[in-house]
Amino acid sequence: MHTVLTRGNATVAYSLSVLACLTFCCFASTVFQNYRTDAKINTVRVLVKNVPDYGASREKHDLGFLTFDLETNLTDVFNWNVKQLFLFLTAEYETTSNQLNQVVLWDKIILRGQNAVLDFKNMNTKYYFWDDGNGLKDNKNVTLILSWNIIPNAGLLPTVQALGIHRFKFPAEYSSSI
Amino acid sequence: MLDIQTHMDFVGQAKAERWSRLIITFFGVIGLIYGGIVQQFSQTVYILGVGFLISSLITIPPWPFYRNNPLKWQKPVITEQKSQTGDSSDEGKAKKKDK
Repeated sequence: MHTVLTRGNATVAYSLSVLACLTFCCFASTVFQNYRTDAKINTVRVLVKNVPDYGASREKHDLGFLTFDLETNLTDVFNWNVKQLFLFLTAEYETTSNQLNQVVLWDKIILRGQNAVLDFKNMNTKYYFWDDGNGLKDNKNVTLILSWNIIPNAGLLPTVQALGIHRFKFPAEYSSSI
Repeated sequence: MLDIQTHMDFVGQAKAERWSRLIITFFGVIGLIYGGIVQQFSQTVYILGVGFLISSLITIPPWPFYRNNPLKWQKPVITEQKSQTGDSSDEGKAKKKDK
């Protein structure tokens, strides 16, 4: 501590140690936080088509089309250790070839300070609902699940599932091709 | 003559270190509490930054009040005779070289 440089070095080093300690406190204060909350999901229009999947095998695969309503209030999820949320809507279903299929249909980023009260009506999906075969037609049990990734300042990167889910069925007939 | 002192004595160094630790810790705790209340971790970081600046201003420059306890040096031993003889011998050598 006998020159300006050693004192400056000590001050910077100690400040950074304190900052690390504060960051850990911030993480520790939210590590047991329960981030689950309600979401109301509903499908409006559901159809299934049988079209060639040029992105993969060029064979005719099932392609689902749906529009959905989504209502949820994520304001309470935000705290001082949440920078942004990555919401994603997943469809889960079972086919004869696979016990569990998961397809992401839609996603959204909510930054801190943005409106976190969502009320979407009759939304189109963002991504194609392809099945890797013909498992969508007449599928009686498809589950829509809303989940979110929490991007924190410090600590874990949890994936949380909303409390509300929605089950729907695909029609037993293909709609006419586009 | 301008006589600018840039040192800290030992007591001053200890004081500077203790004050820098205290100030930064204090602002860190205040920042944590305030950031927790407003739920903005950025506020915590800013308040810690203010503490860093204040601490830097107070404890990094060698302010005069860090020089209140000068060391008590022993009185220099007077060695007039030796230095005189040394000088004379040097002079003698120089003279010899000159010649």
